[in-house]
Amino acid sequence: MKTLNLLAAFCFAVFFSTMGFGQIAGSAHDFTTESWNSSGEMCNACHTPHNSLTIADAPLWDHQVSVATFTLYTSPTMNGTFGVGAQPSGSSKLCLSCHDGTVALDNFGGVTTGTNFITGVGNVGIDLSNDHPVSFTYDAALATADGGLFNPTTANSGLGSTVTADLLYAGKVECSSCHDVHRGGSATGKLLVKSNAASALCLTCHDK
Amino acid sequence: MKRTTFLILLGLIYFSLSVNAQSIRTTKHNLSVTSPGTIKATTESEICIFCHTPHNSTPKVPLWNRNVAGSVYTLYTSSTLNATEGQPDGASILCLSCHDGSIALGSVVSRISPIDMTLALSSDANLSTDLSNDHPISFLYNSTLATSDGQLRTPPLTTTHLDNNSKLQCSSCHDPHKDLYPNFLLASNLNSGLCILCHSRTYWASCTHASSSKTWNGSGLNPWAHIETPYPTVSQNACANCHNVHNANGKLRLLKLVPEESNCLDCHNGNVASKNIQSQFAKIYKHNIYGYNNIHDPAEATSVTTKHVECQDCHNSHASNASTATAPFVSGYNVGVSGINQSGVAVSSVSNTYEICYKCHAGNSWSPPAALPRKISQNNVRLEFATGNPSFHPVVGSTITNSPSIIPPLTTGSKIYCTNCHGSDNSSDPRGPHGSLYPQILKLQYTSIDNTVESPTAYALCYSCHSRTSILSDNTFKKHFVHVVTAKTPCSVCHDAHGISNIQGNSTNNSHLINFRTDVVVGIGALLRLEFVDRGDRSGYCVLKCHNKVHGSGMSY
Repeated sequence: MKTLNLLAAFCFAVFFSTMGFGQIAGSAHDFTTESWNSSGEMCNACHTPHNSLTIADAPLWDHQVSVATFTLYTSPTMNGTFGVGAQPSGSSKLCLSCHDGTVALDNFGGVTTGTNFITGVGNVGIDLSNDHPVSFTYDAALATADGGLFNPTTANSGLGSTVTADLLYAGKVECSSCHDVHRGGSATGKLLVKSNAASALCLTCHDK
Repeated sequence: MKRTTFLILLGLIYFSLSVNAQSIRTTKHNLSVTSPGTIKATTESEICIFCHTPHNSTPKVPLWNRNVAGSVYTLYTSSTLNATEGQPDGASILCLSCHDGSIALGSVVSRISPIDMTLALSSDANLSTDLSNDHPISFLYNSTLATSDGQLRTPPLTTTHLDNNSKLQCSSCHDPHKDLYPNFLLASNLNSGLCILCHSRTYWASCTHASSSKTWNGSGLNPWAHIETPYPTVSQNACANCHNVHNANGKLRLLKLVPEESNCLDCHNGNVASKNIQSQFAKIYKHNIYGYNNIHDPAEATSVTTKHVECQDCHNSHASNASTATAPFVSGYNVGVSGINQSGVAVSSVSNTYEICYKCHAGNSWSPPAALPRKISQNNVRLEFATGNPSFHPVVGSTITNSPSIIPPLTTGSKIYCTNCHGSDNSSDPRGPHGSLYPQILKLQYTSIDNTVESPTAYALCYSCHSRTSILSDNTFKKHFVHVVTAKTPCSVCHDAHGISNIQGNSTNNSHLINFRTDVVVGIGALLRLEFVDRGDRSGYCVLKCHNKVHGSGMSY
């Protein structure tokens, strides 16, 4: 009983510390001072409390979504599969509505005539063949087949639970497996879910 | 209870350590500031970044984070290489983005400024753009190659990693992420276990080099200095005893040393192998392996066209063993060596030892001339030993029916090796014609100087098989004593030891190995006759002048 209590306390502590770590204000995703965001609001570039776009799995989404056809990563040694004709899905598709560079940053709130596009390293383009794959199922079977991946159902994410529980979405690797779009603490640099010092983030999944 | 907790803790620590032992973190490929090696970043903590990036990779696969140098590489080449190499590609070109030494370790695409490093790539890890001294890579390894080579296993290879294009790459031997075995090898190379996954050398299983438990005694040069982590015995080092997979001094066939013989003699000098062969080559008369460099080629014509001699002309280092044989059959020391058979046809692996000698001593354009001037001159020993000849020493075959002087256990039916006469002057030395104090690399003294006082030592070579007592008692030729003892005539004046070819001689004039030396014996009469005439068993006469004495039919016996 004592052990259970301790465990519960530990989980809560981790949970809250995670939630409290970093914030969007001041991060790269803080758009309040961007010239293309005339309202100066924090959340409106992506979200709306009402009448959001009807997109599956999209959390009150309000930014125009890309219709580009993406070129996916492919490698002879990759065991993960996207499925025939598959495209980035889930939350990754939402990220790409800014980060593929085809939709203007200011195409939100019903606007479709924006003129400000993402630049620099944040623009991954529609050719994702030079980017870490996303939107593929990462399960124990994949780990076994690959031989160089941890079993996500048991591997420790370093964020309180397993990789599957903390980093996968519907069992899939998505942009949000590595990036937490709402956290911007300088410790994580590129909005990473955790520090990549000593490549700790990479080596959470990759058994190398 | 406390004790149990302690043990559990210990177990946990051990487990975490053993897991870490298999991680890139604990290898030299962790180039971050936490590297266990000496070559590392001064502050950069990320490990994967030296090779990989999650975004904007180049080359795209496998999310590479380094520019490829674009170097033009000098490829490995050899007369026995069947693979068709191209410039490095696939995984190999990625490895070379550090290991050719042309791009700084800290130069990664995802960083504007190179990552600051303590040291540059070490010289042994720097293969340079000259890959001619490295195992070939980026070639298609398929059944066609295996067939044309004949010494390679046929794919599919169950445990090696050809890439998706069926090419052999750096990654076929190395796993850059795990250093479970030295040099990031995929598997243990004990007994060359990794090499022989592809290389299937005929005879290797029975070769002494694959089974010897000999160790280096610490004297002289370390024969395994080229191996980063050598095993203590010959069999354990196996291929690596002689070969160096990277940065080999002897580029051809990736031999560890130049010149060729050094690869043998650094073990066969008394410091590893049981016999000291090197000392044989300090003698005045020898097969001078030191005299030729880069002339021997395993793909050369079996009948050697360019004069040379190397250890591997007579020995197959992938085959040699200590199994014995009786003449004329080849023993383990020379097994698996090419030769010319008695019919003059090249064979890839000799049955009879003399076939090895015929590669060079069978009338090649440069073959050594006959040692002494004779009426019938011949430097093709293959012709001299032919069993159809009027007379010959029984190297190829024996047709002798009567020879009273022969010392048992030799009999009239015995066959002998070339090495029964040619070899070291010391019977306790290694067998074989490596070197001798006597001319023609003879085992014993064989005086050819005219007017020599007869003694057991003067003709020790002949007397080792032919009883001196019998010879000088005139049991065979009735005039031996008067010729050899009284007139001080060496055996060689009348006898031509190898034999007389039936192309040049005949059974009347050239029986009993008779072929007179023209520097001692001269012809007489208008026809300058210089001959022996055989009249049957222990009967005949000579027509010639020797020691100023004219011989004729009147002096018949």
